Amino acid sequence: MSTPSADDSRGPTGRPASGNTFLGDVWVNFKRWNLKAVRNPFVLVVSLVQPIIFLVLFTQVFGNVAGSAVNQGLPGVSYETYLLPAIAIQVALASAITSGVGLVNDIENGMFEKVLVTPMNRTAVFLGKTAAELFRIAVQIVIILGLGILLGAEIVTGLVGALGIVAVGILFSLWFVAFSNGLAIITRDQESTIIAANLLQFPLLFLSSAFLPLATLPDWIQTFARVNPVTYGVDAARSLMLDRDVMTVIDISWFGGTLDGVVPGLLVLIGLDLVLGAIAVSLLSRASSSDVK
Amino acid sequence: MAKSDPEGVTDGANRSRIDDGSHGEELRADGPATAIDVDGLELVYSDGTAAVRGIDMAIPEGEFFGFLGPNGAGKTTTIKVFATLLSPTAGTVSVNGFDVRSESRKVRQSIGYMAQETSIDPELTAAENIRFACEAYGVSRGKRAARVSELLDLVDLADVADKRAEEFSGGMKKRLDAATALVHRPPLVFLDEPTTGLDPKARNRLWEYFRRINDLGTTIFLTTQYLEEADQLCERLAVILDGEIVADGSPADLKHEVGGEVLEVELEGGPAVRNRAATLAREFDAFATASVTETEAGISVTAETARQHGTDLLVALRDAELTVTGFNIRAPTLDDVFLAITGEELDTDEGEVPR
Repeated sequence: MSTPSADDSRGPTGRPASGNTFLGDVWVNFKRWNLKAVRNPFVLVVSLVQPIIFLVLFTQVFGNVAGSAVNQGLPGVSYETYLLPAIAIQVALASAITSGVGLVNDIENGMFEKVLVTPMNRTAVFLGKTAAELFRIAVQIVIILGLGILLGAEIVTGLVGALGIVAVGILFSLWFVAFSNGLAIITRDQESTIIAANLLQFPLLFLSSAFLPLATLPDWIQTFARVNPVTYGVDAARSLMLDRDVMTVIDISWFGGTLDGVVPGLLVLIGLDLVLGAIAVSLLSRASSSDVK
Repeated sequence: MAKSDPEGVTDGANRSRIDDGSHGEELRADGPATAIDVDGLELVYSDGTAAVRGIDMAIPEGEFFGFLGPNGAGKTTTIKVFATLLSPTAGTVSVNGFDVRSESRKVRQSIGYMAQETSIDPELTAAENIRFACEAYGVSRGKRAARVSELLDLVDLADVADKRAEEFSGGMKKRLDAATALVHRPPLVFLDEPTTGLDPKARNRLWEYFRRINDLGTTIFLTTQYLEEADQLCERLAVILDGEIVADGSPADLKHEVGGEVLEVELEGGPAVRNRAATLAREFDAFATASVTETEAGISVTAETARQHGTDLLVALRDAELTVTGFNIRAPTLDDVFLAITGEELDTDEGEVPR
């Protein structure tokens, strides 16, 4: 490195002069979005507060009534235990909204364009951002599971089951992360993105198997719940929680046990993730392309 | 120390770079180096708006270049093509020797770009914003800390390095934005209206800073609303109007093209008086090629012979029973150039600029 020559386009480590690598670019963006999450109370707290309120209020207010409804189908299962996996899914849902909000903020404050002018790989940029959000969702689900256990819920499958629930939560969140990013690009407006995503949150949660067994709910709700992704996420997480097949909308017996309740839900979620992910990726690449619009 | 900068953008094939630790001299085998080379650039938006209609330009390395034009003339569109944010509809553009279409990533590595809207992350501190830019541009780990503190010093933000950018004033945010565009010591920097909306003090400070990096060898491509800014900073200017370049040259050349000196006459009375005075001035024999405009307080006459025959005009005005309350003969400014070329005045008000 002491004489200028053609080789000087390589740094001391032999990497290209720019020093950008794909993984390096992912890491840079992962760090930035984690830092922003810690700085922004909305991101960390708000998406946790609502699920915590639900967890505490529902178990305390509806615990007795709902508990007996649960016990008709699942004898011996407390409402705390029944509700906790649903709250984990709620956290994933609420937290996924902030992904789109982050993107809108970036568009509004010019960082989106600023990043496009850097030599960073664009796929790596969005991978890093999404990874930071999924990491945060995992941490938030762990917090919720801990709180649930304090309130008396029991994860029958123990630590492995808890990790499984976190994994289900992450798989579940991906489609909503994609959805909120799509909303962000289409509306390019923070309020619209938050309102649209939040408006969807409650119907999705209530019209599913999240809070009460489907059998106790009116027919129209049962019909909607069959096509509601929340049902698949909650039933998969709940099967792990209770160590038995409680999947209400798909009945299979490939494995003969808990996995019969987990796998179909996961497959549906993965399918949904791929479809919505593809839509979000194509919207994102259109928004970041230099083609004249 | 003849040490090459690993961050210096060198494509190896036809250029090498000596960096003395600051902004180095570019050495190129093939004659005088061109930072930006534009041939027949056109850009048509999908709604059919032709924002740029056939631009040719060549900007040599090290030049402080100013790009002027009224709002909507195509300045920002052009700069976005150079920064690879928009693909040209037709024509070729090469930036630092790289084609903006086929080698866009190499272009991005080799330029700094400061957008018209201040672009910083308000949730991060000043130092974190610069550090993120260092990482985004691949500044090697060992150099980042020094680069961050050097740039914070350069833009006078060292005192507030650990404060979040959301607390900053408009001028501080702009300076931080400018610093982030320079982390990789690009040989070419694009500044899209960098001082719009700043108070004069903040503006002067940025000017000083742009001059400093230009002195270090950085080519600067600046668009601006403020003609005084272009006059102060730029070695060469181009004026764009409706997507076409209608004039270019050094500020002195352009002023010379206005054709002589400017005589401003203040008159007592309303628009009717000014109109009569303007008619008189146009018919005035000594000012055969004069251009006459009505101003707020009177009339303005631009003519080669304004200095010699200005008093004659004043006499003629008095004979026509118009009351002259003041007059002034001066050399033309870029405002006059702009007025002559575009037929409209750039809004040069301090502070608020309607967009």
